[in-house]
Amino acid sequence: MKKLLYFALALSLMLGTAHTAQSAKIGLMGPMTGSWASEGAEMKQVLDLLAEEYNAKGGVLGGKIEVVSEDDGGDPRTAALAAQRLSTQGIAAVIGTYGSAVTEATQNIYNEAKIIQVANGSTAIRLSEKGLKYFFRTCPRDDEQAKVAAQTIQKLGVKKLAILHDNSTYAKGLADETKTLLDGVKDLKIVFFDALTPKEQDYTAILTKLKETQPDLVFFTGYYGEAGLMLKQKKEMNWNVGFMGGDATNNPDLVKIAGSDAAEGFYFLSAPLPKDLPSEEAKAFLAGFTKKYGHPPNSIYPVLAGDGFRVVVHAMEQTKSTDPDKIADYLHKDLKDFPGLTGKISFNEKGDRVGEVYRVYKVNKEGQFILQP
Amino acid sequence: MEQFFQQLTNGLAVGSIYALIALGYTMVYGVLKLINFAHSDLFTLGAYLGLTLLTSMSLTDRLGPVWGVLILAVMVMGFVALAGALLDRVAYRPLRESPRLSAVVSALGASIFLQNTVMLIYGARLLVYPSNILPKTVLHLFGLDIPLVRILVLCVSLIMMTGLYLFIQKTRIGTAIRAAAIDQGAARLMGIDVNRVILLVFMLGPSLGGAAGLMVGLYYGQVNFTMGWGYGLKAFTAAILGGIGNIPGAMVGGILLGVIEAMGAAYLSFAWKDAIAFLVLILILIVRPTGLLGERVAEKV
Repeated sequence: MKKLLYFALALSLMLGTAHTAQSAKIGLMGPMTGSWASEGAEMKQVLDLLAEEYNAKGGVLGGKIEVVSEDDGGDPRTAALAAQRLSTQGIAAVIGTYGSAVTEATQNIYNEAKIIQVANGSTAIRLSEKGLKYFFRTCPRDDEQAKVAAQTIQKLGVKKLAILHDNSTYAKGLADETKTLLDGVKDLKIVFFDALTPKEQDYTAILTKLKETQPDLVFFTGYYGEAGLMLKQKKEMNWNVGFMGGDATNNPDLVKIAGSDAAEGFYFLSAPLPKDLPSEEAKAFLAGFTKKYGHPPNSIYPVLAGDGFRVVVHAMEQTKSTDPDKIADYLHKDLKDFPGLTGKISFNEKGDRVGEVYRVYKVNKEGQFILQP
Repeated sequence: MEQFFQQLTNGLAVGSIYALIALGYTMVYGVLKLINFAHSDLFTLGAYLGLTLLTSMSLTDRLGPVWGVLILAVMVMGFVALAGALLDRVAYRPLRESPRLSAVVSALGASIFLQNTVMLIYGARLLVYPSNILPKTVLHLFGLDIPLVRILVLCVSLIMMTGLYLFIQKTRIGTAIRAAAIDQGAARLMGIDVNRVILLVFMLGPSLGGAAGLMVGLYYGQVNFTMGWGYGLKAFTAAILGGIGNIPGAMVGGILLGVIEAMGAAYLSFAWKDAIAFLVLILILIVRPTGLLGERVAEKV
C-alpha cells in the first residue's frame, strides 16, 4: 500500500512538472507532400516565422511557443493518422488544414481529444454544421463565396451562364450553391452545368462543347492549374468569352500557365491577396516574411493559417491558460474584431468567421491581379 | 458536324500522346511480361528534364526554335533512356529470376521513388514552360480552328511510332527483340544476348515516354510531379485496349482511346468522360479478351 502511495506521489509529481513545462505547443497539420504541397510548405513557413517573432518577444504564458507539424498529404487517410499522432503530443491547438475533405477526416479526432482546431482553407459548409465545440476556421464558407459569385455575375450583366466544376467537395459545393442562388433570376439562363476531370492537361474537348452553348460567361469553381490551361486553350480556339473563377484559381501561376495575353480579363473571387491586405499588422508580417524567405507568400491560405495561429496565441494570453474549454469559450464569445492579418476576426457560435471576406479580382494585360472596386 | 470534326482533332492530339507512352508499357510487357509502373514517372522525368535543359542552356535562343527543340528532344530522349537503363539495372534485373509479383512490387516502389525524387528536386509547385517557343499559329481548315502545334504533336508522334515499328520489324536488333519476346530461352540458344535486348527495350520505351513528356510540357506548358499518374493510367489502358505486348496495338489503342474520350465528352456527359472510355474498354475486352490486335498474346497465355 505504501509502495502504491509513493508511486502515486511520484506520478503526480511527474504530471505536475509536465503541466508547468515551459513551452506551449501548437500543432500544424498541413499538406507538406501531395498535390497541395506548396500550400503546406508555405503554411509551415508562416507559422515558423510567427512563432519566432512571438518567442523573441517572450513567448506566451511565460514560455516559448513550439510548433509541432505533421503532414496530412492532402489526403483524408493520411490526415487521420497525422491527427492521431498530433493529439498524443500535448498540443493545445492545431492549425489546419487546407482541403475540406481532409479537415473533415480529422475533426472528430481533435474534438474527442479536446484540441482546438482552426482550419485555414477548408471552406465546405458542413464542417461547421456539426456542432463541434473546438472547431474554428479563419477562411470564409462556400455559401458566402457563392453569394458574392452570384452578385458579381448579375453585376456583369450575364445573360447565359455556364458553370463548370471538378467534382471535388469544394468545387461542386460552390457550383451547386451558385446555381441555386441564380436559378430563379430573370434574364439569366444557366446553359451548361457539368464537371471536368482535374489533373488532365487537355481541356479542348470540354471547351469545344462549352462553345456550342454560347455562354456570355463561364464560371469555373475548380483550381488554378485547370483554369490556366483552359484560358490558354480557349485562346488557341479563338474563342472570346468571359471566364470567372472561384478562390482556388487565385494563384500567380495561373498567369504563367495561361500566358498573360490569354489570362487578361479573367475574373476571380478571393479573400484579399497578400499584397492587398490593408492593415498595419499585415504589412509588417509581409515584410518579415519577405525578409526571411526572399519572397512574399504566394497564396492567402498560409496567411489565414497565420491568423489562426495568432488568434489562438491571443486567446491563450487573454485566458492565461492552455485549457481548450476556456480558449474555445473565449473565441466563441469574447473575441471581437481581433486585428488579424487578413482583416478583423470574430467567430460566431459555429466557429465560422464573421464578416465579408471575399473580393473580386481581374487580371490585367500585364498579368497582374487587380482588386475590383 | 463541325463539332464532331473539332472533337475528332482534339481526340487525335491527346490520343497520339497516350499512344506514345503506351509503347513503353507494351514493349516492356512484350519482352518481360512485366507492367513497368515506373514508366509514367519516366514520362514525368522527361517533362522536367526538358524544362531544365531548355531554361539552363537557352537552346532555342541560340539555335532558333526548330533546331533548338530538335536538339532538346534528342537530349531529353537520351537522358530518359539512360534513366530507363538504370532503372532496369537497379530495380528489375536483380529480380529477373524471382516470381513476377516481386518485380511488379519493385516497379511500384520505383514509381513512388521516382515521383518523390522529382518532387524533392523540383518542388511540389506546378512548373511552367516558357510560352514563347512554339508557334501560336491557328489554322483554319474546313471551318475548323486547329492550332498548328496540335497538328505537329500528332505528326511527330506518328513519325516516332512508325520509326519504332520499322526498327522492330526490319532491323536485326528489332528481330532480336521480337525473338526475345516470343521465347527468351530459345532466343538465348540462337545466340541473342537477352539481357542486352532487355536493356535496349528499357532505353527505347522510356525515350519515347520522355519525348512525350517533353511534348506535353512544350504544348500544354504546365508540368507537375504527379502528371505521370493520369497519363500513365490512360496509356496503360490504351496498351491493353490495343492488345498489350503488341506495338501497332498500342498505337491504335492510344489514338482510339483519345478519340473515344473526346466523343464521349462531346455527346454524352463530360463528367463521365473517363467512365465512358473505360466502359468501351470493358466492352472491347469482353468481345476480344486479348485487345484489338492482341492475337499473339492469346497464343501464349
